[in-house]
Amino acid sequence: MAGRMKFSSLWKRRMALILPWLLLLVLLVLPAAGLSANMVRLLFITAVWTTCSIGWNLLGGLAGQISFGFAVFFGLGAYTTGLLMHAGRSPWFGFIGAAAIAALASFFIGLPTFRLRGPYFAIATIGVSEAVRVVMNNLDITGGASGYRIIENGPYRPLEHYYTAIVVVAGAVVISSVVMNSKFGLALRAIKQDEDAAADIGVNPFTNKLWVHAIAGALTGIAGGIYARRAGFFYPGDVFSFQTSISILLMPVIGGIGTVWGAVLGGVIFGIVEEQLVAKFPDLHLLLYGGLLILIILLEPDGILGLLRRLFRSKRIEDSGSTGADEILWGRSRLEGREL
Amino acid sequence: MSFDVPEKQICGFIGPNGAGKTTLFSLITGAIRPSSGKIHFRGNDVTGMDSARLVKKGVARTHQIVRPFRQLTVLENVQLAVHYGRRAVLRAAAAREHAMESLKLVGLDHKVNRLAAVLSLGEQKRLEVARALATAPELILLDEICGGLTASETRAMMGLLQRIRETGTTIMYVEHDMKAIMTICDRITVLNFGQKLAEGTPAEIQNNPAVVEAYLGTSEGSVPSA
Repeated sequence: MAGRMKFSSLWKRRMALILPWLLLLVLLVLPAAGLSANMVRLLFITAVWTTCSIGWNLLGGLAGQISFGFAVFFGLGAYTTGLLMHAGRSPWFGFIGAAAIAALASFFIGLPTFRLRGPYFAIATIGVSEAVRVVMNNLDITGGASGYRIIENGPYRPLEHYYTAIVVVAGAVVISSVVMNSKFGLALRAIKQDEDAAADIGVNPFTNKLWVHAIAGALTGIAGGIYARRAGFFYPGDVFSFQTSISILLMPVIGGIGTVWGAVLGGVIFGIVEEQLVAKFPDLHLLLYGGLLILIILLEPDGILGLLRRLFRSKRIEDSGSTGADEILWGRSRLEGREL
Repeated sequence: MSFDVPEKQICGFIGPNGAGKTTLFSLITGAIRPSSGKIHFRGNDVTGMDSARLVKKGVARTHQIVRPFRQLTVLENVQLAVHYGRRAVLRAAAAREHAMESLKLVGLDHKVNRLAAVLSLGEQKRLEVARALATAPELILLDEICGGLTASETRAMMGLLQRIRETGTTIMYVEHDMKAIMTICDRITVLNFGQKLAEGTPAEIQNNPAVVEAYLGTSEGSVPSA
């Protein structure tokens, strides 16, 4: 009995290591198997959103700092890439620039706002985000509210955009996994639970929050960059909108906050819903998100990934080394209010 | 008030409820910034230094009301303290090894994979001590680690305190259990309304009329708190 359990958990661990790479391989060879142009576009935009979702999840899910201001990074990424390409730089240079500018911005946003906690931090990020949008609407060098156009030399190559997005989202998954399994990730989990107790064992909550904010911002900035390059045209009311911030926050919450694969799942669901349903029912998609969000908060705070885990509950207990603790945790998580 | 804590001793701090014992600890560990006065540690001025930096200098504390990271395992709770404490251990395997030493010392090494949330109060109190010890402190401030414990748990905690002292760590200790504090402490400081009322060996304190008055009250006949 014990031997079998050991074998099956080992097998599962191996699968957990192999499966993501298999998925990546499929995504990389899929276009060669003859994918429709629409499907390529759908997968592209899903990968862009998923990258944002993974980024937000590091700050919001892992470190417990709920930000409503990630449109700032998305928009700054878009504009940085646009401006750098306009200056004759390569798109890749543009994306790196996007990451750098977004990370820099995250630092300046974090310095004052991370002095605040919980809902006060969340509200402050709304203010910062709206302020940035208003400034960008009135900034002359970027064309203000009328938007910015990226003019790229050479023919339009949808697959290049696609592969860029896939490589970036794969990179985001790797970065997220590394962070979550590091001592830095452990410190962030502690900060989420009790900032003061974390400080009492030498974890500086402020600097650790600044760091994770920078990583999350950089990922979102790159996503904004690749989105902008493909879109060719964007404006502050789009990339810097509050709707963008909400979308980025919704994805990990829907998928399962605090885990890499929850964020990925949320991004994929959001990408598909956004692209397919918006086209068919343009007025209905917000209602759908609202409904979904209420259902998730009420019924399954751990998102769809949590729901899936609960369906395979007995297996999960076998997986984790902690005997019986899970039962109580699962019981507890239903009673204890979650941050979202 | 002003006082010194000699190295490698157990210094007790007692006083009626609201005397300022926990506030004193919060000031020393950087949780509260003092509006005036100075705090020195090993000859260096550490006034107003934040908690995380003080831990790296070798000052750690436990809380009267336990604050474990409930959704982390017992081992993760302590491992984190090894990573970010004075030793600043980088590698996870090495950190886990150090963490196990602390957990063995408090007798929690058989529950390492449990979530902190499922431990009993007594176990959570010991986890709190293990976590503070794992930062490798030179000075540890223990705030009522016996509060709410049974008599046998208290005795075990006293044994633990002795072992901590034997490792060369200086202890500042707040407790309401008079028997515990009188037997274990080398020196005792009595606080009342944020002022130092008396200071001395346990025997001196027991015979100090001012202390007796503070605890038992005078004409107003206040309720004794310990």
